[in-house]
This record gives sequence, structure tokens and C-alpha cells, in this order.
Amino acid sequence: MKETLLLTKHMREFPENSHQIEIYEKNNGYSALKKVLKEGNPENVINEIKDSNIRGRGGAGFPTGVKWGFLAENEDRYLVINGDESEPGTFKDRILLERDPHQLIEGVIITCFASNIKKAFIYIRGEYAKPARRVQDAVQQAYEKGYLGNNILGTNFSLDVVVHLGAGAYICGEETALLNSLEGKRGEPRLKPPYFPAVMGLYNKPTLVNNVETISSVPWIIQNSGKEYSKLGVEGSTGTRIFSLSGHVNNPGNFEIEMGKSFGEFIDTFGKGIKNNKNVKAYIPGGASAPWFTGDQLDIKMTIDDVANAGSMLGSGAIVVMDEDTNLVYAAKSIVSFFAHESCGQCTPCREGTTWLEMILERIASGRGRLSDISLLIDICDNISPGLDWPPKMTTICPLGPSAVSPITSLLNNFSEEITNMLPTKIPITQ
Amino acid sequence: MSWEKELIDKANEIIEMYPQKRSALGPLLYLAQEKDGYISNDSIVEISNLVGITEVQVKSVASFYSMYKEEQTGKYLLSVCKSISCEINDSRSVIDSVKNFTGLENYETDTEKVFTFEEVECIGACGGAPAVQVNYETVEGLTSEKSVQMCEWLKEERPEIIVADELQEKFGGVKSFDWAIKDNTGTSYSVPGFQNIGTAKEKSQ
Amino acid sequence: MTDQIKINVNGSEISSKPDQLIIEACEDSGIHIPRFCWHKRMDPVGMCRMCLVEIETPRGKALVPSCTTKVSEDLVVDTESDVVKKAQEGVLEFLLINHPLDCPVCDKAGECPLQDQTMAYGPGESRFVEDKRHFEKPIPISEIILLDRERCILCARCTRFSDEISGDPLIEFIQRGNKTQVNTFPDEPFRSYFSGNTVQICPVGALTSSSYRFKARPWDLKKVSSTSNCSSVGDSVELNVSQNKMLRILGEDNEFTNQGWLSDKGRYNFEYLHSEKRIETPLLVKNSNKESTINETMELISNEIFTSDNRNISFIVGHNSTNEEYYALNKFVKNLNKVKNGNSVGSINLYLSDDYLYNGFFNDDYSLGEIKDLDSADTIILWAQDIKDNLPTLYLRIKQAVRNGKKLLIFGHTNTAIKQLSEEYYGENIVTNNFEFNVEISDIPNLSKYIDGKDVLAIVGKSSPLQNVNPIFQLVKHLDENSNLKILNCFSKGNTLGALQNLDIVKGLNEFVTEFDSSKKNIVFTVGSNPVNNSIYSHKVKDTLIDADFVVSLDLFKNETTELSDIILPTTTFGEKEGTFTNLEMRTLMQNKILPTPGSALNEWEYWLILSNKMNLLESYETEEELNSMLCKDYIDNGNTPSFDNLNKPSNLDGILNSKTINIEVENVDSTNLEILFVHRLYGDTSSQINSPSISMLGSERFIEMNSATYFGSYMLNSDVVTLIQGNNSIQVNVNINESLPDNLLVVPINRRGFQNLNPEKKVELEAAKSREQLSVT
Repeated sequence: MKETLLLTKHMREFPENSHQIEIYEKNNGYSALKKVLKEGNPENVINEIKDSNIRGRGGAGFPTGVKWGFLAENEDRYLVINGDESEPGTFKDRILLERDPHQLIEGVIITCFASNIKKAFIYIRGEYAKPARRVQDAVQQAYEKGYLGNNILGTNFSLDVVVHLGAGAYICGEETALLNSLEGKRGEPRLKPPYFPAVMGLYNKPTLVNNVETISSVPWIIQNSGKEYSKLGVEGSTGTRIFSLSGHVNNPGNFEIEMGKSFGEFIDTFGKGIKNNKNVKAYIPGGASAPWFTGDQLDIKMTIDDVANAGSMLGSGAIVVMDEDTNLVYAAKSIVSFFAHESCGQCTPCREGTTWLEMILERIASGRGRLSDISLLIDICDNISPGLDWPPKMTTICPLGPSAVSPITSLLNNFSEEITNMLPTKIPITQ
Repeated sequence: MSWEKELIDKANEIIEMYPQKRSALGPLLYLAQEKDGYISNDSIVEISNLVGITEVQVKSVASFYSMYKEEQTGKYLLSVCKSISCEINDSRSVIDSVKNFTGLENYETDTEKVFTFEEVECIGACGGAPAVQVNYETVEGLTSEKSVQMCEWLKEERPEIIVADELQEKFGGVKSFDWAIKDNTGTSYSVPGFQNIGTAKEKSQ
Repeated sequence: MTDQIKINVNGSEISSKPDQLIIEACEDSGIHIPRFCWHKRMDPVGMCRMCLVEIETPRGKALVPSCTTKVSEDLVVDTESDVVKKAQEGVLEFLLINHPLDCPVCDKAGECPLQDQTMAYGPGESRFVEDKRHFEKPIPISEIILLDRERCILCARCTRFSDEISGDPLIEFIQRGNKTQVNTFPDEPFRSYFSGNTVQICPVGALTSSSYRFKARPWDLKKVSSTSNCSSVGDSVELNVSQNKMLRILGEDNEFTNQGWLSDKGRYNFEYLHSEKRIETPLLVKNSNKESTINETMELISNEIFTSDNRNISFIVGHNSTNEEYYALNKFVKNLNKVKNGNSVGSINLYLSDDYLYNGFFNDDYSLGEIKDLDSADTIILWAQDIKDNLPTLYLRIKQAVRNGKKLLIFGHTNTAIKQLSEEYYGENIVTNNFEFNVEISDIPNLSKYIDGKDVLAIVGKSSPLQNVNPIFQLVKHLDENSNLKILNCFSKGNTLGALQNLDIVKGLNEFVTEFDSSKKNIVFTVGSNPVNNSIYSHKVKDTLIDADFVVSLDLFKNETTELSDIILPTTTFGEKEGTFTNLEMRTLMQNKILPTPGSALNEWEYWLILSNKMNLLESYETEEELNSMLCKDYIDNGNTPSFDNLNKPSNLDGILNSKTINIEVENVDSTNLEILFVHRLYGDTSSQINSPSISMLGSERFIEMNSATYFGSYMLNSDVVTLIQGNNSIQVNVNINESLPDNLLVVPINRRGFQNLNPEKKVELEAAKSREQLSVT
């Protein structure tokens, strides 16, 4: 098993200074843009993206070309890059922002050209100060070199890019919450319908919202054609993906591969095995929202569909490995706490339910559990995500609430003894 | 204290970047935090006038986001990650060490206004767990000993500008990925160092 | 438009308007879906999740909020499935885990949607053993509203109301997630003219009114629908009474008028009804306020009228009488006139105590508009008094219309508070400080773009007590020639239109003081009016009344006018009398009685009846109802007259539009040198307000407005507290800078203490004040 380097190739080749424009240009940077501007046919760009069959890398996996096709006609249209990467376990956008910002900017310019957009925003989470600085420097350089601003490279295409810093709210990764945040409002997800910001987005104008990794793929697709891209990976999961590997592995990091290999192989090959030669007890296949797989399920293939069929999701491409010594109640509590902390508070089941779940787990973890807590946990989960199915049904506005259900059902389905072992055998006399 | 002309000019410059004034609210709140170490009510009044919304609307937005602080922070904001990858890599011991060294509980600031301590959710350094941010500059692969050494260093040296690379070199361990060429840019207060809000500061070597 | 579509709900087919929300379609067909956050007058937010229903989709059944999901042809909805019931039970449990369950001490208990729905849909017992969320128990967020954040279920009704409906977002969500709470900004209380609406729409007891706190239980309340006197919109209200005391006024949803909303003045201006200062027996003022009897006073009055020839009789009427009372007064005047040639009187005249009265637009030359025309017009023209202060619920309708895309054009200098709603603000470049045009009307920028061939609703009236009204007529003529024009006459006070409809000829206070002939014996009746206060003619009226031979005041309280009376006759008011009220659209609505008559007070019409009888001018009526049937005969459309019977029909609860011939004889009062623009603020110093403790302080602040050029240029001051000086008058005031005002025009609230002796045509001086001590009047 080998990496297939498309997005991370340049940074690997220039480990010291891949983020600098001179180096990027020397290594064929901005040639996809030049090609596109020379051809002058936005339609072709969209077709290439459609041909590539690339699906959004933010987690939902929506086909990018289709999304672009939805963009409604309007005088003002916007592109918003979702760089609010906050899903626990995920740090792949961070490397793209920090190490190859020009690749992203080139993708932004091509995307805007294809969709006749004159203003783009790159929304980066506030905690990514350093990556944001790199992107801002790169934007500045791109302006200086005439890749941004008025009449880009002598054409009549003009584009302004603003790098916008978030301020600590995971929910802003949800695209409509991100748009609210960018409008200077609370980062609360909007009601659906309208389902697509492409129809009604930023300032209620048609808006493309795309993930950093998705747009970073655009220059390669334009250089090499959508067809070439679609040959990589497997059907339904074409191209490469950058997986963030963390947890109890010897060699954590970001690894760019074609989808289709098994998790076990991936963890062995790139993670170089489990620390101290332990066994895997469980692993999270796609960020903290995703239901866990057990150590017996390492042969599941890393494709969007295989993971979905096995009852979880490839999500943000974050794999967190937990070894045999991991206390999974603590692990679940950590994830539930995360979602309780990040709940926007708009809708009742998420606002009240996630915190209640957290309180119960906290109580169990501190040895004050009750026998009835297990059925209570299940029922609270059911009231947030009726039926406890995957993909989840929801009583909530957005999937954040049901995300807090994943670790609990994972725990109770496969590791229920871990939680029952923590319950006192006798009900304590005093509280 | 209300805002000086210089700050208002900076604010208006930021407002200009956006199609609608209110979009500048986030960056303006960072200006406020850079000024006072938190979002003061006086700053909220200024911002509400600048973007044309009511004070409570500004407050509503500011209080939604965890990086806008309601109480004055210390010179160094220590944000220790406790999310899943850090949690299973013993972030608890880092948290305990930092708490023990500073004597602070979550969200507390010491009386000398040197440190503010907080436990935070995922900061995107999972490959370098457990990780910490100082004024939003990331340090990866910390241990409880290294985290204490870092706090000691901050307390004794009182560096004016915090730079991720410097902290990583001195106190860090395993990283999420190679960080490439050494970077001297950082920040000087509990606000992310970022050019557009004028908080990115270069540390001379 | 009227197309209906079919949807299936719980196995039965119902019809629905296309584009309707499921919750609305079900409601219209009598199927109730529980909800907390949804309110039909506000945008849905889908936050509480109580209204979840199952619908069938190509991918199977889906659980969706019925408040955000629209119907579509043949949509299949289940509002009672097991999944729905489980979800609703779950939501209620979630809402209750942090709710304090302090129903025994909560004002809302008994009419609480959370309580009711918990009984109907909720879990039997609590499974929550953790600590509940705690907040400081009720905190005052304004002078009249308290907030209990523990009870709050975060439905966003109050925050949406203040943002979307009233446009003063002073109350908002703070924090996020489980820590979310509603609050105001420190030092910026929820001082909205409309804050009380949030109490009414709060689905729990989180927002409560200080005036109603711990006063009653809903099941003890006697209720009746009525119409508010607060402004000439005629807001529909429900009066809530317990043990013969008015405890609360709620807004009722009248599609044509207030749509459920009230101003705080309309809502809280009622405590005066039970004030100890109410006059409950006739008083002989000149006889050391000796208490008298109806018989004795009626004898005295009829003697005064009859004892000698050639006496002039004047009636100065207010705007709080019912149509029946105005009609009875008019009959009384007619009777007096009939016997003029006998042993009786000289001239008899009726004056309305309203500086904003002018001849208006009534005859057949113009088509009169309705409030609902705001929703269908392309353009709204506003040139009148400050709408937000004087017709607060009409302001809400205008705001709603603008939100729905209607273009608002504002003329003049009085509606600066809603400038931001306007498409065009024709301020000082177009209109002079004396409210005359600076330019030819045809040259007004962009005007033709918004009016030519368009449906235009013009809300017009006098902006200033001193104002040449010819420019208004010019503008209306221009609009009429170029657009499809409808007019709303902006007479803002209470039942002004009822007075105009039922009094044969009405004059103004200026006419009263100029026509007053001191060479004759003068008898003056003031009828529910206090012309010695709040008018630019106040000082002249005062001199006149001092000069008058015999003054009779029909009133509720002693005031500046009754001090000059010979006799005060106690009368009844809102809630104590039955009758009709005509709003500014000429819509007649019912006012109902729910309170007993205090002391020996009589309705105004009863005095006129007794006096008529005393003078052998025998009248044929004995009740309000008989008066009502008599006055109904004069309506232009006699097919649908606003008789009590008609108005009480379910189909007419929103009122009946009908008109009568109106004769106003008010002379144009020209001003060529206006220095002070007098305005009426919502809150002031009327007897009713100062005798209602919950809101009495709201009209106490004295402030004036001007633009900064005037302030810094003319006065070179640097203090927001100044002393205003004109001749012998000196008043300490706050200065509010208002950049929408033209240069050299000071805006002064004439209905607050201390301003009425100022001459609006003379310049004032300002001096920096030494202290803030005398700033507000207690």
C-alpha cells in the first residue's frame, strides 16, 4: 500500500517552503489557472469537475460538480471555503492551509472563474491562527502577482478574496451556520429548506460552500482532467483523500491515498502499528461524529459506501485508533462532552439532551451510576435520534445532536460491559 | 475606555473588506479583545455603533463563540485540548500539571494576569496529541513535565511574542505533520495572531 | 390565489392553501399540533421541536417540524403516530429537566402552554436526577418587565418579536448550547414601546409584567373583548378583571388592525381606573371642592344655562368618549339650539381638544384607505406626526409592510425614528422647517419612480400643531393625479374619528380661544379633555377659562383644567362603559363594560340626558343601546351599520367599516418661523398615565432633540444636560442628538411637564446645566 500524492505532492517535494509563491509557481503552480483563463470557457471547468466525480471532503460527501450546477443566477454570487475544520480527530485541512495555501487559492480562483463569482471568503477556524496567516500571506502574494484583484492576468475576470477567522464554534463547520457566522451572527444552522446555499446562501445570495480539501483538488483536476481523477480510487469514491490518523498508533499523521483499501492495512502501513504492540479495541472511521468500529472490523474498506454499509461514515476522514487498554466510557464521555460543549443551543433535543447525556456519563465515570442509567441513556439517545439508526433520524435541526448519540450506541452495542462494570453493585445510600 | 481614533480607523478598514458591515463583527471583536484582553462592555458599545446593530446583538454574537472572552485573560492563554485523540493520549496529566503549576481551575486567571487556563475542545492537533495552545499558537506532543517547563519558561521569560515554532522546538514532541521552514510570526495576547486584524507579530531572532 | 390543495392528515383528507405550513393548514382544519416557538405572526424558527410530525417522502417516513415544512399536493401527514408521540414526549421531558417547576408561584400557571402540553403530551415523571440549570430569579429587564431565565424554554418568541416585529432588538440570546439564556445588555434595558407583547407571547412564565405579578390566577379572571383607546388604530384587546379590578389587558388578533400586538401604553395604561384619586362624586370646586350630588349639580348647571339670555356655550371634548356619548352630546347641543329663541342661549360650539386637527380628507373626492392596504400597496407615503409615538400599532403594520417589500417614503421631520425603514427620506432638502416644500413636488427626486401608476397609500396628517396644511393638500393632489391613491387620515388620538362622525360640526382649540367673546356670559363644558395641558394653546385656554363665567368639567381626575372649573362631574371610562369606537379607517368596533361604575359617577351621555330632562328637552333614549340604534341611522351605507347587534355577530368582531358626513371647521394656522417642533411622545403626563403606577415614570424624562450642527454650531455646548431658556421659562433638559433633523429645529415633547409655555416661533437659548438634579419630574 502506497500513498498517491496529488494534494500533498508539492509539500512533500518542498518540505521547507512549499507555501511560498515562488516555489509553488516553479512547481507548475498557477498553470491550471492560466490554462483555464486562456481557454476562457467556464463551462469546461464545471464539466471537468463533474467528470472527476469528486465528492465534497467536508464530511457529507455531496458531489461537487452537482453542487456547482445548482448555483443560481444572480449579480452577486459568493464562494465560501469551509476551513472551519474542528471535527475531533481531523487535521487534514490544517496541513493544506499551512503547507500549500497557493494550491487552495488557485482552486478558489478557478472555481470562481467557473461560476462567475467575484468575491470569495476563506473561513478558517480561529484556533488555526498559523494556517490562516500562511493563507493570508499567500493571498497577499497572489494579489501582488496579479492572480487576484482586478483583471486577473490581463483578462476581464476579477476576484477578491477575504480570509476570515472564526472564533471557536465547531458548529460553524455546518455550512449554513458558517454563513451565519460570516454574516456576523451567531453560528446557528439555518432551517432547511432552502437546502442549498447555492440557491440562498451568504446574504441570501447564491453561494458555493466547499471544503478546503475539495477546492485544493481543483488545480490537479484541471491540469490532469476530470477523467484522470475519476480513474483514481473506486467508483463512488474517486480520487485521493487525505486521512488524518491519530490515537494509539506509532506514526500518526496525514496520509493521502486512493480510497478502497482496508482500515487495518492503512493503520498498519502508515500508522506503523499500534503503540507498544497492543491490539485495537475500537476505532473511529470518520471523525468524532461517526459510530465506532471494533478491533474485529479492521477489514472494512475505506470508501464512502463501504463504511456507510457497515453502519458508520467516512465523514471527515479522521481515523482515531483506541487500543485494548482504552477506557471506552471515558472515550465516549469525551466525545459526548465535545458535542454538548459545541451544541449551538437552538433546538431543544440537542441543547438539553447532549448535556444530559454528558451529566449521566460523568456520574457513571465517577462511580455514581445507577442501574437504570443504561436504559435512560438509550432512551435519551432515542429522543434525539429516533430509532438509533444510521444514518441517523433526527428530532433536531442539524446532525450535531445525533452525533453525540454515536459514541453511546457504539459503546452500548459492542462494549456494554465496560459501562456496567463501572456501575456500583449496590445503590449508594447517600448521594 | 472607548476606542481611540487609530482603532476606529482599523475597524473601518476591516468593515470595508465585507459586502455588509455586520460581517466585520467577528474581526472587530478580536480588536476589542486585543485591546483589553476580553470583550468589554465599552467595546461592545463601540462595535454596535460601528456596525449598526444593538449592543445586546453584539453581546449575543460575542458570547456564542468560545474565543471571545467575557473576563480579562492573562498575558498567556493556556488552552489544553481534551478532545478524543488527546483524551486517549493522556491529556488529563497535562491538564493536571498545568492546573497544578498555575493553581488555576478551568477559565480562571491568576491575580497577576499572567496565565489564563482553559480546557478546550479539539484544536486540530490530534496527530500530535496531547496538544496545547498558548495564545492560539499550537504546541504538539506535550508531556506533563514539558508542559510544566513551558509554563515556567513563560512565567520567567515573559516573552512578548508567542510563536508556535519556538514553543514546539523548546517543549514539543510528536507533531501532526512536518511544520516546514521555521516561522517567526506569532501573537502577543490572547487573540490569534492574524494579519487582517493586525495581531500577527514577528519575533526577531 | 384561492386555489386549494388537498393533503391527508391522520388518514383524513383536508384542504389547505398552497404554500401554507403544515401546522397552519392543520390548525385551519381544527387539528391542533402542539408547539411552543411557532407564532403565526412571526417567522418560524423550528427550535422547540414540539411540533414534529411524520410525513411520507419517497425515502419513507420522515420526522419534520410542521412549523417549517410547507404543504404540497397529496402530502401525507401523521400528527399522532407512535414516533411523533415519542418525539413530543421526549421534547417535553427535555424542556422540563431544567425547568424549575415553580408553578405554584408562577403568574403563568393555569394558562401556561408548557403546563398544558405537559399534561396532554408529556411524560408522567422526571428521570432527571442531576442539578438543574440555575439563574438568578427574576431580574428586572425594564421598568415594567421581569425575566426569569430558569423558566425560559428558549423558544425565541421574545427575541424574534423585538427584532422582526418591533424592530428594537434589545433582548437576545446570550451564550450558547446548554448555557443559552435570554438577556438584555447591561445599562440598556428592554425599553421598547412594545415590550409587553413579549410577556403575552411567552409560552412560559419567563417574562412577566410587574403590574400583574402575583395579582391573580387565570381561572379567577373575568374577561371581555374590547377596543383600546390608546390610539385611533383601535387595537382589539381583551380586558381581564378580577374582583372588579382591571388586572391586565391583552392584545387580540384583529387581522385588520393590531394583529394581536399592543403598545405598552395600550397594555399597561389601566391602573388609573382604580386610583384613589379618581373623582367619584360631583365636586363644587369653587366651594372648597365640596362634595355634592348629581341632583344638586344638575340643578346648578341647568339654572346657569336657563337663567339669562344670550349666553355662549362651548363644549371642549376629548377623544375618549364613545360614539354614543358624542352622539348624545350632539343631540343635547341640537336641543339647546332649538330653544335658542326662547329663554335661552347665544351661540353653541363644539371644539375638539387636539392640536393636530385639520380639515383632512373626507369627501368623495378621495378614496379612503384601510390599514390592510399597507399590505397591498406598492408605496406608502408618510407625512404626519411621529407614527411610532402616536400610532404605535400602525407603526408595526408599516414595519411589516416594509419587511414584505413595500416602499416607504417619508416626508418631513417627525418620523426620524423610522427613517431606516424608508426607501426615500424627504427631509430638509425637500421640506422646510415650517413644513413647506423647498422644491416643486414634481421635482422631488425619485418620487415619480415610486408613485407613477402605482398603488399608493398615503398616511397624512399634521406634523406639527403649528403648520400650514396647504402643502399636504398639494402633495395629495399630486399623488392623486399620478397614482392609484388611497388615504389614511392620520388623526391619532383615541376615538377622534368617532367624535368627528357623531358631532355635526367640530372646531379646534384655536377656534375656541379666538371665538371666545368675553363680552358675553360664557359657559364652558370640558368633556373628558384637559385643554389647559399639552396644547400650544394651553396658556390661552387657561386665560379663557379664568375669564369664563361658568365652567363644568366632566372628568376622572382633578387636573389643570378642573382647577379652573366650577363643577366637576365624575364620569366613566374605558371598561366601565359600553359603546362603539371608530378608528382612523372609519372602522367601528365595540367597547365593552366589565367594571362597575365607580361611586356616583355617570356616563357622559347620562349627564346630557338628565340636563335635557331638567330643561324639559325630553329625550327618547334611556340606554346606550338606544343611542346606538339612533346614531346608526346616519351612516352613509345603511346596509351594514355598526349597531351593537351587528358588532356582536361573530363575523363582525373585527369591526365594521362605515362612514358618516364629517364637518371640520378648523382654520389653517400658518407658521413662518418654526424654531420648536412640538411632538407628542407615547408617554407623557396625562392623568391616566400618572395615576397608573407601573408606567407613571415612563413619561417623566425631559429631553429635547436636535442635530449636532445645531447643537455644537449654535450653542457650542459640550454637555448632554442643559438648561433651556426662553423668556421667563427655564427648564433643565437632556439633549439627544438626532442627525435626521434639519438645522435649527428643536424637537420638544409637549406632553411632558414643563414645555407648554414655550413659544414655538421664538428661539430658545441653551446653557450648560450645573447638575442633573432637576432633570426628571416625579
